[in-house]
Amino acid sequence: METLQLTQGVVNAILLSGTLTLVAIGFSIVWGILNIINLAHGAFLMVGAYITYWLFTLYGVDPFLSLPISMLTMFVVGYMVQRYLINLVIRAPLLVTFLLTFALEIIIINLATFFWKGDLRSVTPDYAGLGFTIGDVQIPYVRLAAFVISLVLTGLLHVFMTYTKTGNAIRATGMDIDAARLQGVRIPQTYALTYALGTALAAGAGTLISISFPIDPTMGGAYTLRAFVICVLGGLGSIPGVILGALLFSFIEVFSGIWAPSLKDAIALLVLVLVLIFRPSGIAGKAFYH
Amino acid sequence: MSKRLLILIVVLLITVMALAACSKATTPAPAQEQTQEQTTEEKAPAGGEECKVVFGAAVSLTGKYAKEGEYVKNGYELYVEEINKQGGIPVGDKRCKVELKIYDDESNADRSAQLVEKLITEDKVTFLLGPYGSGNTFATTAIAEKYKVPMVEANGAATKIFNRGFKYSFAVLTPAPYYLRGIIDMALDKDPNLKTVAIVIENGAFALEVAQGAKDYAEEKGLDVVYFDKYAKAAKDVSSLITAMKSKNPDIVLGAGHLQDTILVMKQSKDLGLSPKVFGFSVGPTSPEFRKALGKDADYVVGAAQWTPELKYKSDDIFGTPQHFTELYKAKYGEIPPYQAAESAAALIAYQKAIEAAGSLDKDKVRDALAALDYDSFYGKLKFNEQGMNVYKPMAVMQNYTDGGLYTVWPKEAAVKEFLYPFVPWDQR
Amino acid sequence: MSDQKKAPIRFSSLDGLFKGRQGVLFSIFLLFILFLGVFPFLPFASGFWLNTLTLILLLAAMSIGWNFIGGYTGYAAFGNVAFFGIGAYGTGLSMIRLGLSFFPALLIGAVAAMVFAILIGLPILRLKGHYFAIATVAIATALGEIADSWTSFTGGAAGITLPFFDPIEWSGQFFYYMAYLLAIGGLLLTWFILNRKMGYSWVAIREDEDAANMMGINTTWSKVMAFALSALMAGLAGGIYAYWKTFVLAEEVFKIEYTLQMILAAVLGGTGTIFGPFIGAFIYYILITLLVFFLPVGQLHATILGAIIILVMVFTPKGLMDFISGRKKLSINALLENIRTYRV
Repeated sequence: METLQLTQGVVNAILLSGTLTLVAIGFSIVWGILNIINLAHGAFLMVGAYITYWLFTLYGVDPFLSLPISMLTMFVVGYMVQRYLINLVIRAPLLVTFLLTFALEIIIINLATFFWKGDLRSVTPDYAGLGFTIGDVQIPYVRLAAFVISLVLTGLLHVFMTYTKTGNAIRATGMDIDAARLQGVRIPQTYALTYALGTALAAGAGTLISISFPIDPTMGGAYTLRAFVICVLGGLGSIPGVILGALLFSFIEVFSGIWAPSLKDAIALLVLVLVLIFRPSGIAGKAFYH
Repeated sequence: MSKRLLILIVVLLITVMALAACSKATTPAPAQEQTQEQTTEEKAPAGGEECKVVFGAAVSLTGKYAKEGEYVKNGYELYVEEINKQGGIPVGDKRCKVELKIYDDESNADRSAQLVEKLITEDKVTFLLGPYGSGNTFATTAIAEKYKVPMVEANGAATKIFNRGFKYSFAVLTPAPYYLRGIIDMALDKDPNLKTVAIVIENGAFALEVAQGAKDYAEEKGLDVVYFDKYAKAAKDVSSLITAMKSKNPDIVLGAGHLQDTILVMKQSKDLGLSPKVFGFSVGPTSPEFRKALGKDADYVVGAAQWTPELKYKSDDIFGTPQHFTELYKAKYGEIPPYQAAESAAALIAYQKAIEAAGSLDKDKVRDALAALDYDSFYGKLKFNEQGMNVYKPMAVMQNYTDGGLYTVWPKEAAVKEFLYPFVPWDQR
Repeated sequence: MSDQKKAPIRFSSLDGLFKGRQGVLFSIFLLFILFLGVFPFLPFASGFWLNTLTLILLLAAMSIGWNFIGGYTGYAAFGNVAFFGIGAYGTGLSMIRLGLSFFPALLIGAVAAMVFAILIGLPILRLKGHYFAIATVAIATALGEIADSWTSFTGGAAGITLPFFDPIEWSGQFFYYMAYLLAIGGLLLTWFILNRKMGYSWVAIREDEDAANMMGINTTWSKVMAFALSALMAGLAGGIYAYWKTFVLAEEVFKIEYTLQMILAAVLGGTGTIFGPFIGAFIYYILITLLVFFLPVGQLHATILGAIIILVMVFTPKGLMDFISGRKKLSINALLENIRTYRV
């Protein structure tokens, strides 16, 4: 491999890991606290991306400024979905919630395709594609900005979970639901809030992704799968674990992409299966969101 | 209770079996279909006013090929409308009205095959038209072959479909391996000093054939293929491949794939500063969506085209010229016709000419006439080799111009504008 | 709850099969099976109907197979399409590379699927819940991608083409009967196993795996067998499908929709029952077909499908069999029971 490929690959992987952290972190808290594999995660991400796209295309809103709008909108949507739908069957066997979120994904994608058509779209602000070079290595501004924003949001989540009363309530619910209830935590609301946080983070990731990559209604599935792999790699229940998992995953993805581009997903997935088999608690082990 | 039920079951069973045996004795299922076909055929010349020819197709109106499927449907419908204005297709000494029966295959090969089976056995259509995409075409040509009903398809370019010795399948479009030849010819014509080519490929039946064809042709022309690798279908990030290509510093970058991944390759080439002298793709740059998605970054990019509205073909078919087809299409659908619509209409022209030559609606006679067809249509030459592929029509090349327009730049005799060369590097814009 | 769980055991005994409402239903079911058996000879059995029923019967067979691991043993397998794909490729490659005729090739495809299930089952069946589910998805997806890229062996994305069934005029009938026999065979296999120790082991594992282990059940062996048998059904279905379609493309035979379909069929009919998946396949297919052909929903049929899944998951996740068989009365109370049990 040539030097350029190596150095550019390392830079690409690090930049990618920021966005993927944001993709996985929402998935991780929903899984860790609610014990749901949220297969609709990628669909919410896609909606977030489209919110940015439409705000940019119709009203010329700068994609980075649309970040809070898309996150807030999807926060509300996520809250409703959990409060009035998933909460109804949340303690049912795994198959039920699995299929329920899968159905949600089908519906969201179908509606998006119906209203927005299935073609690929791009958010193209004037600064898209601009960047600077260090040696021969290209660093696009938007990817760098996405990387920084992702880390800031992740940091904010950490602060929220650790230092606020609500954050502590969420963590307590995840650790022991009965004890949390006895402490006066309102479980249905807390569940809804957790899920809403998850979808809002997904939407935020969608916004950032829409600036660097083309979007279409089916884009989400690949990110759901990545979120899952990252959570397994990093271990469930800790923010540093997710960051570590995302970094590791990004390197696997970028370099398997150089050596065997068409086997990119297969390699990542086989790594997942191996980790599951040999170290089911992930690399960072189990912790609860701090 | 249980005894009565058992008796009931036995009685019912015997009845059903007896019925089955009767029906089999009188009209065996396959034979029944044949009689039906014969009656249509007999009716056709004798019936006078009754005469009609029904074309059936399963087209993707929903799912991932919904957009392309719509173009296909538009192409079919435009032809039917125009020919019926003239009273229909001439068969022998009179004209037969044309009817179209279209189902939505949901971009799903299982559904496509099922619906074609329905078109043949339930709806008893006279002839079949193709679906969109190589996968669905694969599935449906096998059904057409099974029932010996001709199928002229216009939207499956993979040669693999035709390497199976099928007798009833024909394709009006230029096959995949020929797609990028025009771009290579054009580039070398402009600058004989070009030395190296990099090829990126979407991992799909069509794109793989395009890429292999381009590689063979480039090597034949003395070019050095320095990069040749594929990315996953529906890939959302190809930056690894772009980086790898950039390190080879190729003169020409060719992409074999579809619209979506072509846009992705362009976007990320800009991000990572890949600037060859020529950027050419099999599918994508000729579509208005390409310009819409990329804006100014679409400038200079060239794409292969089965057909363009500017080509200078002349024909005595109902459309006459590409320009006239474009006018009619624009009047009906309000947009410039994409090539998918033109080739779909051309499939019906091929049928019309074959039916005229055969003077009959008999499936086998029309099949033979299709095999012998040699006709210059508004879409270009319609002529099939032994396998049923149209290898006689050249590919055009279109370029996204700096003025925001999309113009035919190759072949030279049809070119509207000069080929803009070279591609201006990203950092000099 | 407990009533539901006894269901397989009750069905597994022939005593009283023809008694009462159960008996009527069982007789109707049997008649339906017989009707399907003579269907190709009925006057209205056009190629279209044969095609449609072949699809449904293959789905039923796969769903019956999924029921072994997902329904009886209670492991949420989400990657059974992997076995379908292996069956399809195993059969196809044996036919074109080794020049075998269809039946030996089908056997190779099915055995390959089973062997693969045993090999991956040993490690991944130690995983629980979500982890097992996603490991199966991952393996199926990765396998599809490998088949799609490994040009020298599988033909890659260009796929492989198989010879036609000869005589071609009878291919519709031939594949219909192959699918029919596979589905019926699956029903008999279910019934056979449920009357063996294996069947009890499966249910015991679903109810409480640790307890089953302590009772001396070889849980590993039982789980792997459940997985392998479900692979056998899917592998055979895949092999038949490949020869029927006359080509194998990775993107077609490894698509996750097939997994979803077999699970939905089992859930609609009732997981962990003998006839549930078979009946569910028909219910599923009729629903879908009605949506496509008769409801003016246009391009929104996936939304309707999603809504149906949600309604079923929220109100009757144990399937419709309880209501059909009269074991439960259809009432608002019965529909809300699920929510009462599982909400927070």
